[in-house]
Amino acid sequence: MGRNFVFPFPAVEGQDPVKKALLWNTVNPLIGGVLISGEKGTAKSTLVRGMAALLPGMKVVELPLNVTEDRLVGTLDLEKAIKEGKKVFEPGILQKAHGNILYVDEVNLLSDNIVNCLLEVSASGVNKVEREGISFSHPARFILIGTMNPEEGMLRPQFIDRFGLYVEVKGLEDLNLRVDVIKRRLKYERDPAAYVGQWLEKAVEIKEQIALARDKVDLVQVSENAVRLAARIAEKENCAGHRAELAVLETAKAIAALCGRTYLTVKDIEEAAGFALPHRVRQKSSASVCLPEQDPQDDGTDAGQREKDTESPEEGRDQPNSEQQENHNQGRDMDRGGDSSTRNSEPDSGENNHEESAAAGENDDDIQEPGEIFIIKPLEIKPVDRRKRRGSGKRSKTITGPEHGRYVRYTFPRGKLRDIAFDATIRAAALFQRERGKNGLALAIRNSDVREKVRERRTGSTILFIVDASGSMGANQRMKAVKGAVLSLLNDVYQKRDKVGMLAFRKNTAELLLGVTRSVDLAQKKLRDLPTGGKTPLAAGLCLGYELIKAVMLKDPDAIPFIVVVSDGRANVPLTGGDPVDDALRAARKIAAEGIKSLVIDTERDYIKLGLARKIAEAMKADYQKLDELEAGRIACSVKGLVR
Amino acid sequence: MKKTTVYPFTAIVGQENMKLALMLNVINPVLGGALIKGEKGTAKSTAVRALADLLPAMEAVRGCPFRCDPQDKSDMCEGCLAKVEERQMLTSHIVKMRVVELPVSATEDRVVGTLDIEHAIKHGEKKFEPGILAQANRNILYVDEINLLDDHIVDVLLDAAAMGFNTVEREGVSYSHPAQFVLVGTMNPEEGDIRPQLLDRFGLSVMVAGEHQTEQRMEVIKRRLAYEQDPENFVKQYQKEQEELGQRIMLARQLLPQVAIGDDLLALVAQVAIKLDVDGHRADITTIKAALTLAALNGREKASLDDVKRAAMLALPHRMRRKPFEEGAFDYEEVEALFAQQ
Repeated sequence: MGRNFVFPFPAVEGQDPVKKALLWNTVNPLIGGVLISGEKGTAKSTLVRGMAALLPGMKVVELPLNVTEDRLVGTLDLEKAIKEGKKVFEPGILQKAHGNILYVDEVNLLSDNIVNCLLEVSASGVNKVEREGISFSHPARFILIGTMNPEEGMLRPQFIDRFGLYVEVKGLEDLNLRVDVIKRRLKYERDPAAYVGQWLEKAVEIKEQIALARDKVDLVQVSENAVRLAARIAEKENCAGHRAELAVLETAKAIAALCGRTYLTVKDIEEAAGFALPHRVRQKSSASVCLPEQDPQDDGTDAGQREKDTESPEEGRDQPNSEQQENHNQGRDMDRGGDSSTRNSEPDSGENNHEESAAAGENDDDIQEPGEIFIIKPLEIKPVDRRKRRGSGKRSKTITGPEHGRYVRYTFPRGKLRDIAFDATIRAAALFQRERGKNGLALAIRNSDVREKVRERRTGSTILFIVDASGSMGANQRMKAVKGAVLSLLNDVYQKRDKVGMLAFRKNTAELLLGVTRSVDLAQKKLRDLPTGGKTPLAAGLCLGYELIKAVMLKDPDAIPFIVVVSDGRANVPLTGGDPVDDALRAARKIAAEGIKSLVIDTERDYIKLGLARKIAEAMKADYQKLDELEAGRIACSVKGLVR
Repeated sequence: MKKTTVYPFTAIVGQENMKLALMLNVINPVLGGALIKGEKGTAKSTAVRALADLLPAMEAVRGCPFRCDPQDKSDMCEGCLAKVEERQMLTSHIVKMRVVELPVSATEDRVVGTLDIEHAIKHGEKKFEPGILAQANRNILYVDEINLLDDHIVDVLLDAAAMGFNTVEREGVSYSHPAQFVLVGTMNPEEGDIRPQLLDRFGLSVMVAGEHQTEQRMEVIKRRLAYEQDPENFVKQYQKEQEELGQRIMLARQLLPQVAIGDDLLALVAQVAIKLDVDGHRADITTIKAALTLAALNGREKASLDDVKRAAMLALPHRMRRKPFEEGAFDYEEVEALFAQQ
């Protein structure tokens, strides 16, 4: 293959955690790979490719995003089948990767089907192929290395768990280092060959280091105490499954081997834990609200426990490193701090109900800055039917019609043939070539051979935000929290490539702020500048939303519609002169009757709870969430940052 | 066959930033391409298509579908590399760099390449049929309305742009070939955003707007009318200017390897990047590269502070830290002030 030069691994400035994680993996393949996550332009891919040059007897096999299932697992050898009529297995990427490194750049963009295959194989270590008349299996053990930019969405939890280690990268902050980065890159680009030559010595050094450590790694003793410590750390961090402890120990072995030791120290284990646990800290399922708050005393005893542990390990005479522990407490405190500050900004005041006399607030429009943005629990939007859909986005996976989406595998055609999977068709026909009359062609294809493509593509939803901007929302900085919450939702929307629309209701009418668009940025701007003040014409808001989403459904039948209502439900402007709340309920029922999925975010935070938003949600058959609950995701997520 | 005429690059009124960004990329193909944002009817596409006329000629291996450079072993395709290793002579010919268009409706198999069906059926053999990325190697890849491109196409585009190689593992074929291209995209921001990941791959970005002065606008109309009335004659009128510009680009390409930059300017750029809190290091590197290229374009062997400033205006705006929702406005004055502080 071409690509004779890659930027030398040792020439990459900084980024020590990534370098370490990669080195450990080459020393001890049992660690199980690494997931590198970080912003763009931080030498993620450069490092992985650079590492390939350092590997003794191993290579880096790349898994491109365009991969189809047949190439991943392997399939019938076409040429042999046609020419000799023999069934021979043609190995795919998984066989190439056996005993090597399997590298997926932008791993979070991999198609679901392929991820499923990978999961299955990496769980069993064997690739079993049963397709196209071929029955074959071969061992497939590989080090999985993935890089990703979290802005583009996350990985499925099972998949994340397959990675032994997790590292985050950031750009360097130090001025001199940054200058060096530029200089080195420019030098490399002017003359790659010469530059690689310059670093050869250093590279050879690392190579030897790896080779030495590899010989040593199997000799490293793992004592009972070390195992206990690893298990305790993993348990304490509430890690799912037992892969965490194993990864910690294997990593610690690699660290020790690189230091030339045959025993583990507490430091090794703690360093390893910093890499092996962050991605395994269990996310709370959406049902439970937040992490059980551990009281500080609990921490204390635990730390004591750990110190006791550290006194008795084998040769580990290093200081019991309680740094991590401290980080913990700090992190947790910060978390609490953040939480309480948002709450404090909302001193539960008794002066509620001022919005009922809303006329007073008619003119005091005020624009509140959005509150803190956090990571929310993902919205669950599933298509109700199994229609084929078109459209792009990542929210819901859907099988698409012909010519759209990524070709992932083939199937037997049903009904009218439109999208032939040529490769699969030819393979199906290949075996019968000897018996068929060919009319001068090399290949005779019959109807029974024909296969169709299965394409996969995620369909985005069309999400309409209906935001209450009445005076009641302006009270107590409530709008600030609402804006924060909606922005957080928009964040999710961006990652899933949904379309958004937004309308607000206040004073006497509802107004469309933003027609349905994919420009999440625009939505964000509109929201930021949204003033509050006036009465609450909830019914008008719901009606306008209903009309809007109906129009979208007509225009684009593939869109999955979703309505998010943000309000306290205290409607006080009727549609035509009836009871304002009844009107709102009627509008809500209309939305429910169309089968449109929806979510009501209740912003009511006053002492006297009227619970109107809940009633609206029931009428709309909507999911119901309190504003505060929506933030629950933040607690679970911030925990991930603790183990550093 | 009659050659279809293209509106001359030099006849485009105004839009200096856009023209500059495109020229810099022609001079220095590793700059990372350009993204042109702007409303409709601001000569975005015209400028990119017009660029074709100014593109330099280059040496390429005859018969190679990827137009490999016979002098450069590091980026050769498998076929050419095998020949070199067998000590065969590579015959080369001169080809012009060209603009390859990626239509928004393109399917993934056509973009990355796929199994050659005809060959498979006729001969019972597998053969790789190169796609658009193969054509784009050493050329300019132009995507009009890049923000409307299907997500999975964007993914494979990113993949190839990042690696400089297109690795294909699909439909029974396994193939890898060089795919180094200058990515030029145009988009109308009203139609939606472009993903930050893709955004960062673009070396430079420019925002174009319609001309606001009456005289300029009149000039635009006049030239367009003249062109439509008699394209050939119009092109002839600009022939001299076109040739001069082509010459200037050629000279700049030759000069580029010698252009140097002082350490103080490197430090300055790094400092600005830190202050602006941009993601990663691509911002710094691209700014410096653009400054070097600017110096070359102006025939100087040393990049100046002005070059750096100008380069920063092209390389930084789309890299301001933009978690999807933070205000990502690029404040020219702020950058100006940052530079002035030094």
